[in-house]
Amino acid sequence: MTRAIDVNEKIHEQLKNSGVTLAASLPDDWVAPLINRIAADNTMRHVRVAREAEAIAICSGAFFGGVRSVALMGATGLLTCTGELATLNLRHQIPVFLIVSQRGSIDDQRIYQEVQGRRTIPLLQTYDFPYHIVNRPDEIASIPDAYETCRLQKRPFVLFITRKLVKGDTA
Amino acid sequence: MKAREAIEAVAKHRGDAVAVCALGMAANEWWAVTKGEDAFYMHGAMGFAASFALGLALSLPKAPIWLINADGSLCMNLGCLLTEASQAPKNLKHFVVDNQIYQTVGALPMVNQGRTDYAAIARGAGIVRTRTIESLDELEREMPKIASEDGPSFTVLRVEAETEFLRTPPMTYEGPEMKYRFGRALEKRFGIEVFGPQGY
Repeated sequence: MTRAIDVNEKIHEQLKNSGVTLAASLPDDWVAPLINRIAADNTMRHVRVAREAEAIAICSGAFFGGVRSVALMGATGLLTCTGELATLNLRHQIPVFLIVSQRGSIDDQRIYQEVQGRRTIPLLQTYDFPYHIVNRPDEIASIPDAYETCRLQKRPFVLFITRKLVKGDTA
Repeated sequence: MKAREAIEAVAKHRGDAVAVCALGMAANEWWAVTKGEDAFYMHGAMGFAASFALGLALSLPKAPIWLINADGSLCMNLGCLLTEASQAPKNLKHFVVDNQIYQTVGALPMVNQGRTDYAAIARGAGIVRTRTIESLDELEREMPKIASEDGPSFTVLRVEAETEFLRTPPMTYEGPEMKYRFGRALEKRFGIEVFGPQGY
């Protein structure tokens, strides 16, 4: 539990270092502790949504208000947003920064995550959405660079967090 | 009431509101009536103009944000009403042009045509100020109040289903240009930074 708290504290801190002041989320169990941290932070506006694509569009609207934002969700949620990411964010070149659990990895033996594990990254490559995988606590410091790359490339950028990162080696 | 008449009546009272328009008829009609560059016209993501407008409203709490939605778009993202109600932005007004058809693609009937009460759905989601307006007279009468009251509000504009294919042309610029025109207009007006020092 200490590890999970540390990791999510660091991600939260790096989001703040990136200038993020708005988060829109729909939980996945790996992302839930981070969402809870952000929800408790009075300096960050937190928007709970009913469908992940809402988070994408909320962050896109926030971009035009000069506000830096993040969309938090699970890999299954990301798959539900591909139409909106293509026709809103690619169409208009609007950056949107996503933190997504990388479900279906070799250490995530859940049958209902299997397709997400096999097809999510090929799908992102097809859309030409950049992504970055954070697998170790020391890699969390890369978030501000990832955020800037998202802005610069003017498109959706997915920062994946792995099971090893959020649960540790032994969990 | 025809869609064009309803849009004209709403636009007349917009003051300095920033508009976000759902793709298709709502965007095309708003452009035809206002030629406004301080409006964002969705080209895709049907249903999610509402969420875009909410993100904008939360980011610019002092700016009046008017969402020009349509019934087809609303039905693709009814959950937006829950999110809108939970955030309760005072500066957001949500209009729905309800023509009960998918106008832009050939006037095919909407799902559950004629039986859906969108204002009741919005009320059920927790939005307190909701109304359905059936005639142009009523709209002209109500608009000053709608324009001046606090949001979030939800106004259904019941318009005639026009069977002719409505060929109002869309705005004359698209995608990235719309992003930069809209973003620069907001930077100038609100003194915010949308784009960084290198222009992205």
